[in-house]
Amino acid sequence: MSTATQRLFHEVPEHGEPAEAVPPRGLARPEEILRPPLPVPAASAVMPGPSERAWQVLRQHAPAYLMGACSLLGIVLFWHVATTYRLDFYIRFANIPTPMEVLSKVVEVNSSPKFIKNVGMSLRRIFIGFAIATVLGVALGMLIGRYRLTRGFLFPATEVFRPIPAIAWVPISIMLWPDNEVSIVFITFIGAFFPILLNTISGVQAVDGVLLRASQCLGARERQIMWYVVLPGAAPQIFTGLAVGMGVAWVSLIAAEMISGQFGIGYFTWEAYSLISYPEIVLGMITIGVLGLLCSGLIRFIGKSMMPWLGYGARAGSIR
Amino acid sequence: MSTAGNSARKGHVQIRDVSVRFGTKGQMTEAASRVSLEVKPGEFVSIIGPSGCGKSTLLNIVAGFIRPSEGEALLDGKPIGGPGADRGVVFQQYSLFPWMTVRRNVEFGLKMQGLGRNQRESAARTLLGMTGLLSFENHYPDQLSGGMKQRVGIVRALATSPQVMLMDEPFGALDSQTRAVMQEILTNMWQQLQLSVLFITHDIEEAIFLSEKVYVMTARPGRIKAEVPIPLPRPRTPEMTASPTFQALVRQLKALIREESLAAMGGELDGGGLRGMDRQFARDGMKALT
Repeated sequence: MSTATQRLFHEVPEHGEPAEAVPPRGLARPEEILRPPLPVPAASAVMPGPSERAWQVLRQHAPAYLMGACSLLGIVLFWHVATTYRLDFYIRFANIPTPMEVLSKVVEVNSSPKFIKNVGMSLRRIFIGFAIATVLGVALGMLIGRYRLTRGFLFPATEVFRPIPAIAWVPISIMLWPDNEVSIVFITFIGAFFPILLNTISGVQAVDGVLLRASQCLGARERQIMWYVVLPGAAPQIFTGLAVGMGVAWVSLIAAEMISGQFGIGYFTWEAYSLISYPEIVLGMITIGVLGLLCSGLIRFIGKSMMPWLGYGARAGSIR
Repeated sequence: MSTAGNSARKGHVQIRDVSVRFGTKGQMTEAASRVSLEVKPGEFVSIIGPSGCGKSTLLNIVAGFIRPSEGEALLDGKPIGGPGADRGVVFQQYSLFPWMTVRRNVEFGLKMQGLGRNQRESAARTLLGMTGLLSFENHYPDQLSGGMKQRVGIVRALATSPQVMLMDEPFGALDSQTRAVMQEILTNMWQQLQLSVLFITHDIEEAIFLSEKVYVMTARPGRIKAEVPIPLPRPRTPEMTASPTFQALVRQLKALIREESLAAMGGELDGGGLRGMDRQFARDGMKALT
């Protein structure tokens, strides 16, 4: 089939109705109310080649990338000027390392196993603390959000602990847990736990009642309702909680590492300050930033691939 | 519908002397008062009435969401305990699960019954094919138009082969053209499947076009004001809406409803002349029928 006829065939059935969909007997005329669905990229009539598509994607996103690059470049440029000329206008740039000093540190440090180990330790602590916070936060959030009994018992207790920042747990945590490693993971857990819990609770409570009733009418029992309706219904807000929780987890981790750590990127940064190794401080900060960015990016990516339906809702495309 | 063996068929809904009260003792509102109605197996029955008259309350009782304060609600002679898959419900709001594709939505009830993946899939595809939705099986609800969503909702409710369909203003949110086509699809479907249907609407033409019997309810507290049989032949076609019988029924029901709507608004519009005119209207309607 030539491309011309292919195109023709794709364009003829305006309502996209294949032959097998013609109803039997009296069930006539459903096509009258069939509207063509919203455009789905995969079903478009003319499929662009891969290079064409890449070009389209690039063209679509180029302005955003350009704006992002400009703002980053501006910051580095200001940093360079301020440190090279040692600006001093209330804020003092005299002791701040220049971008080039930091860059050379990056090259140096990337071949040192000690730095790699620090990064690895921090990631490990984040992963364990965040994983426990996710499991407990989502599970408890669902119970508190859905059942009056569990809400009555558990919610007041969580409300008492919630305003206490994770860093305030450091002394108690050191006393509570047998070794330093566990107490740092515990601090990370505390940081991530409450945003995940609270978002799960409100996500569960916001699940449309008509969906719950519909599932009951279709014969779903309570456990099935929780798994197939409440959990996916609350999923968008759970992922909001995960993203916020990841941010707070990093804040808590770095603070804990600075106070009581051995190894870890927070410890590395604080140690650099104690040793008056200024470029390493900035390097530590940038590393923390990049790691945090990667972690929340990972969560967004997982969220997007687990919730493909969100792209079609009313919320899509609200940014001006 | 009066074939032999009717008595053996299932889907017999009976509401007997049902009253429903909400709220605490100080502020009690009565949503329905001593209502009795019946949907015989395979019968299409509508309830119309002014808004807030407790139509939806009655449907929710049959669906099993609300227990009557007094009286009893029976399905095939047994008291209704709670919601279940033997009564398919179609809601006014689109109630498709937004995170499931069209086919997954239709499969949901079968999945809850523990049916295997392959059986579910072929059953859902058959139903979607019958209603012309097969090419949309992998779409998400947010990609569909309102009429299509509601059609998927009906198909989903039918998937578990319920004996009774409960429909709470299912076409209320649709534009009038879509609505007309949906009514036709529904009436054809009903004729093929021979289900009992309890249909709530405030649209008089819709009730007449679809039903064998229409209950008119009074303003709050809701009572049954009239039970009007619809003697139109089957199959129903859009052309019938122009027939004198149909128009007479419309006039009769309109008069009954208007009287109640005025009562629902209380003393604000209590013009004696208006009321008298409506009574005359109702009498005319009855005359035209007989």
